[in-house]
Amino acid sequence: MTRHTRILMSVIYSAFVVYLFVPLALMVMMGFKDSKFIGFPIRGWTTEWYAGVFQDSEVLGVFAYSMTIAVSSTLLSLVIGVWVATFLGPNKFRGKLIVFALTCLPAVIPGIISAISLRIFARFLSIEPGMFAIILGHTVHNVPFVALVVMARLATLPKSHIEAAQDLGADKMVAFFRITLPYLLPALIGAGIFCMLLSFDDFVRAFFLGGYQPTLPVLIFAMLRTGMSPEINAISTVVLILTAVLGLWAERSMRRMNKGA
Amino acid sequence: MTDQRDVIVHLDKITKRFGSTVAVDKLDMEIMAGEFVTFLGPSGCGKSTTLRMLGGFETPNEGRITLGGADVTRLPPNRRDVNMVFQDYALFPHMTVGKNVAFGLELKGKTRSEIDRRTEELLEFLQLGGFRDRTPDQLSGGQRQRVALARALAPDPKLLLLDEPLGALDAKLRAQVQVELKDIQKRTGKTFFFVTHDQDEALTMSDRIVVMNAGRVEQDGTPEELYFRPQSRFVAEFIGETNLLEGTVRGSDGDAIVIDWNGIEVRGSAHGAKPATGDAVMAALRLENVNCYSTRPQAGNAIEGRIVNKLFKGSRTALDIRVGERDDAVIKAYLDAREADSLPPEQLWIDWDADRLSVLRD
Repeated sequence: MTRHTRILMSVIYSAFVVYLFVPLALMVMMGFKDSKFIGFPIRGWTTEWYAGVFQDSEVLGVFAYSMTIAVSSTLLSLVIGVWVATFLGPNKFRGKLIVFALTCLPAVIPGIISAISLRIFARFLSIEPGMFAIILGHTVHNVPFVALVVMARLATLPKSHIEAAQDLGADKMVAFFRITLPYLLPALIGAGIFCMLLSFDDFVRAFFLGGYQPTLPVLIFAMLRTGMSPEINAISTVVLILTAVLGLWAERSMRRMNKGA
Repeated sequence: MTDQRDVIVHLDKITKRFGSTVAVDKLDMEIMAGEFVTFLGPSGCGKSTTLRMLGGFETPNEGRITLGGADVTRLPPNRRDVNMVFQDYALFPHMTVGKNVAFGLELKGKTRSEIDRRTEELLEFLQLGGFRDRTPDQLSGGQRQRVALARALAPDPKLLLLDEPLGALDAKLRAQVQVELKDIQKRTGKTFFFVTHDQDEALTMSDRIVVMNAGRVEQDGTPEELYFRPQSRFVAEFIGETNLLEGTVRGSDGDAIVIDWNGIEVRGSAHGAKPATGDAVMAALRLENVNCYSTRPQAGNAIEGRIVNKLFKGSRTALDIRVGERDDAVIKAYLDAREADSLPPEQLWIDWDADRLSVLRD
C-alpha cells in the first residue's frame, strides 16, 4: 500500500466512524436537554428525562415485558438449536443438506414476510396475539443462529472425548450432559446473548404478533407518533448502553471460544 | 501358549469389514491375565480395529469376544469391564485432574469417600500428587499421559487398552515413559493390550508381540522370538534390520539346514520345520549376528568376502560385505567402529551361528 492510499483509507474510515457515531451522540445529548423539543439550540441541561424514565411505570412495565420475551425466546431457541445441531452435526443421512437449508431459512426470510405468515399461522392455531405468539415468532427466527454457532463448536469436539466418557461408563445421555454440554458452554453464552439482542431489538414481529401490550420498540414507535420528546432519547440511551455492553461481552466470549477455551 | 495363567480375553475368529475392505480377518487368539501384549503393525493392518472391538466401539461382523468367560461381543463400551487410554488422551478439558480420574468411579456408583480415596491413591501412584486441582491444559504431555492412565485404571478394569499412547511424546520422553509403563503394568498386575506401529516400543515393553498385516496375524511370540526367529519376510523386514537370503535347500547337517545361496553354502535353522531338499527358501539374518574375522577361523564354515561399503552410525558401523561374484551377494553387518576399522577391507571372513539364520515360513 502506498502512502497516499493509506491516507485515503484512513480518511474514509474516519468519515465512516463520524457517520456512525454522530447520530448516536446527538441522541444521547438530546436526552439531557432541558426543553420539551428535540433540536438545536440547547439552552440548558437536565437529567429529569432520565429520572422520568425510571419513574414511569408504563415504560418500566414494557421494559420488563420485553425482557421476559427476550429471555424466554432465548432459552427456547437454545434448547431447540442445540437439539437441531446435535442431530444435524454428526449424523450423515440423505437430504441432510436440505434439512440444513430449511433450518437456516428463517434467519434469511425478510422479517415482514415472516411476521405476516406467523400472524396468519397463529390465528390458524387459535393462538391469541400477545406474549406467547411473540416468543414463538422470535424463537423461529433465532434457532438458526443458535444451531449454526453450536454446530461450529460441536465440530471441534474430539470424538474421543465422547468415547472416553462411554468407556468410563457413561451412556449417551450422561455423556451429553457431562461432556458435550459443558464443552458447548462458551458457544451457548455467545449465541444466547445474540438471541437476546435480536429479540429485544425486534420491531416487525413484535408489532404483528403482539396484542395490546407493546414491547419496547413498539412503545418507542407509538411515542414517536404522538410527538418527539427527549424522554424517547433517554429510553433509547439506556437501551443503547445495555445492548452495547451485552453485545461486546458476547463478542468477547465468542472470540475466546474460537481460541479453544 | 504353555502359560498356566487364566485366559482373560478370547477372540474367537473375529472378522470386521468396512464396506468391501476386510480390516480384521478371522482373528483367533487368547490373551492371558496379567500379560502385556502388543499388537504391532503398519497403519491399516487391523490392530486399532481389534482394539476398538475390545473396547466396544466396533462390533465384529463375525466371531465372538469373551472377557473373563462372559460374551461381550455386542456389549456397548459403558457396560464392559474394559478401559482405554486414547491416542490423544481425551482428557475432559473442563474438569480438573481429580475430576477426570473420578469420572469412571462416579459412574460406577461408588461413595464419595471411596472415590476420593481411590483418586488420591492413583494420583499418588502415578506421581501426580500435587496436580489434583489443575486442569489438563496446565499439564505437560507426559503428565497428561499419566492422568489418562490413572483415569483408565481407576474403575479397576479387567483389561486396559492402550491406543498408541506414546505417539504424541517427544523421543526422549517416550523412552522414559516406556520404562514407566512397563513398571506400572508389573506393579498393578493388569492385563495391558497395547497397540503401536513402533517396533522399539513393542520390543521394550511387551511380554508378547502380535505382528499384524492386512488383517491377519503374521507372527505371535515373545520379543526375542520375533526379533531373532522371524517366521515371515514381513516380520523380518518390519522389525529391525535384516539380511534376506534367497536360496535352495541342499540338505541338512545335524540340526542345521544347508542352503545354496548364490553358489555359496550357508547354514541356517528352520526352528522345527523341515523344508525338503530342492525347496526354494528365504532366510533372515540380523546384521549384528554376523561375525567378522581378519584371518580365516580354524573351525566352522567361514565365507570369504570384501568390504564394498562402510557407514559410520555412531554406536556402530554398518558394513556391506560382498561374498560372491554376483552384485547382490552382499551381507550387511553391524560392528563396533574400532573393530570395523581393524578389518582388512580387501579380504576378510564372516560367519554366524546356524540358529541365527532363520529360514522363513513363506
